[in-house]
Amino acid sequence: MKILLQIGVVFGLYWVSLLIEALLPIPFPASVISLLLLLLLLFLKVLKVEHIREKADFLLNNLGFFFVPVSVSIMNYVDVLRTCAVPFLVICAVSTVVTFAATVGAVRLTCRLMDRRKGAEK
Amino acid sequence: MSALFETPYFGIAVTIAAYWVGVKVQKKTGLVICNNMLITVGLLIILLKMFRISYDAYYAGGGVINMLLGPATTCMAVSIYAKRDLLKRYWAPVLAGCLAGAVASIASVLVMCRLFGLDWAILMSLLPKSVTTPIATAVAESHGGIVPITVAAVIVTGMLGNILAPILIRVFRVKDPMAAGLGIGACSHAMGTAKAIEIGETEGAMSGLAIGMCGIITAVLALFFDLLV
Repeated sequence: MKILLQIGVVFGLYWVSLLIEALLPIPFPASVISLLLLLLLLFLKVLKVEHIREKADFLLNNLGFFFVPVSVSIMNYVDVLRTCAVPFLVICAVSTVVTFAATVGAVRLTCRLMDRRKGAEK
Repeated sequence: MSALFETPYFGIAVTIAAYWVGVKVQKKTGLVICNNMLITVGLLIILLKMFRISYDAYYAGGGVINMLLGPATTCMAVSIYAKRDLLKRYWAPVLAGCLAGAVASIASVLVMCRLFGLDWAILMSLLPKSVTTPIATAVAESHGGIVPITVAAVIVTGMLGNILAPILIRVFRVKDPMAAGLGIGACSHAMGTAKAIEIGETEGAMSGLAIGMCGIITAVLALFFDLLV
């Protein structure tokens, strides 16, 4: 019953998010809405992590698995991609590296500024 | 006979079997290129092609697995919540990192599309490619992008992030797990996050956080995409 209840809580939350998604005037995905909603409920202590721990662990530990069916769908797009395969792959690869570097760089810079300010206060 | 492939049981069982092989091979070899996602997806595509099973037939079961993707994303809130103390102390770097990541992704795609001389529709299909699928497709669709290309770009980017994450951490000498996690989430959404969770707890939580933040930032920036003409 414990696991069943946990599944109910997570699915219920997701359903409410689908409802919010349908009501919102701008396109915003239910998955991100439900992430924010659950985070809010945890911070407000309406829900406790214990209420969903096993279910969350199961889903998060196998996260890659849930992406497999969508990824297999790439076999349907081979024809579309053939028209611009080289630029497509180059763009995907380069921007992945650039984005990673920019994020890490910004985090490092901000952390350094914080340390310096802390040092100045002392 | 072919009707048997259209039952959900086939799609679910074959996906679990392929994933099991993928995880085993990665564990055994420990090589970055033997990425579990890459092996699983490759194996399934070869199998479906070999036995002439359509994607739609496979998706009878695949769809059931796909249904859990949303709830799985939801549960990232649990790992983010577990790191709330870190978040309270470092909210500024987190925000700065996600903002920089979202802008860098859009800017790099824009520059390269111009270099390759690609048209507007392709540009709009590729611009939102670093964020989670639902946001990316919504953004592409509302600006005249071609949705299948967006889906493909999001998947390829996610796969690349999942494969490259350990290499990127080494090449850029990222010692701070917070920075590593944010970087992975910003450049390759939840598929990268799946790898980040394997790397470490903080990496996983921060990567999950970056998906949400970069998604929101990109959705907001997308409102100005039409000014790029």
